[in-house]
Amino acid sequence: MRALVIDDSRAMRRIVSSILTGFGYEVRDAGHGGEALDVLNEGWVPDLATIDWNMPVMDGLQFVSAVRANPAWRSMTMMMVTSESEHTQIVRALAAGAHEYVIKPFTADAIRDKLALLGLLPQEVVL
Amino acid sequence: MTTLDTDRRLADARPVITELIDEATVESIAGEAWISLVGEDEVLVPLPGELPADVVSSWVDMVGPWTGSVVLTTGRQTAEDLSRALLRESAPEVLEEEDVVDAFGEIANVVGGSVKAVLPGHSALSLPSVGTPPEVRNPVDVCRIDVLWRGAPIAISVQGALPALGTPGTTV
Repeated sequence: MRALVIDDSRAMRRIVSSILTGFGYEVRDAGHGGEALDVLNEGWVPDLATIDWNMPVMDGLQFVSAVRANPAWRSMTMMMVTSESEHTQIVRALAAGAHEYVIKPFTADAIRDKLALLGLLPQEVVL
Repeated sequence: MTTLDTDRRLADARPVITELIDEATVESIAGEAWISLVGEDEVLVPLPGELPADVVSSWVDMVGPWTGSVVLTTGRQTAEDLSRALLRESAPEVLEEEDVVDAFGEIANVVGGSVKAVLPGHSALSLPSVGTPPEVRNPVDVCRIDVLWRGAPIAISVQGALPALGTPGTTV
């Protein structure tokens, strides 16, 4: 499975990428929503995108809306991974088309549980 | 009436941070952030230490019912050690300034986000900044803890802004 990790912090991209690689994902990353759209436009469409909210150039919510506007990317699952923890913000993200929401700080187990809920945990990790 | 008088009047109408959050909550927030970002075995010991002369700060600004900044301050070497701990195997042999800005800033972002979550009402958070921290403008509007990480002192301060900050995105 493929994952695209979108966060303006290189340190956070490393942390999330390391967790997903441990679950068997092939991972690419992007520093903001615009870079992530470039990856998708190359034809590299992942099964999962993890998306920070507050980023320069194009924020996470704008990215989610852009993805939802393109039927070719409908199969991609979008999980917000962000320090935005207000209920209203979570509702906004889900209404825009995000499937799941993880609040920073998180643990590898929290990501694992969300992926299991989404059916995106490889079988060998589930067992 | 001077601008300063107006600022003070506005400040009087706003809550101060100690009415909204206490030191134990800030300590708990920072501890969780450390475990998540720095490592499962990394603990913050709630003991004060003397900050060295060469310090660096990372912070995020918050605008809402309470307005101010969440600021982490530590020695430059400790900030580098923290950055290396976050980057782990992907840390370069020689850390660039931008690596420290990125990693130390992300810690402020996560701690700031958690502080925002326990404050009442809707607030907006800025992108993190790293450098010389915003001044403490109102000494009664500060909630500060001092901790040790691997024996090195770190100060974490939730401090009010006077005058009020603009909307994040316009100030950073």
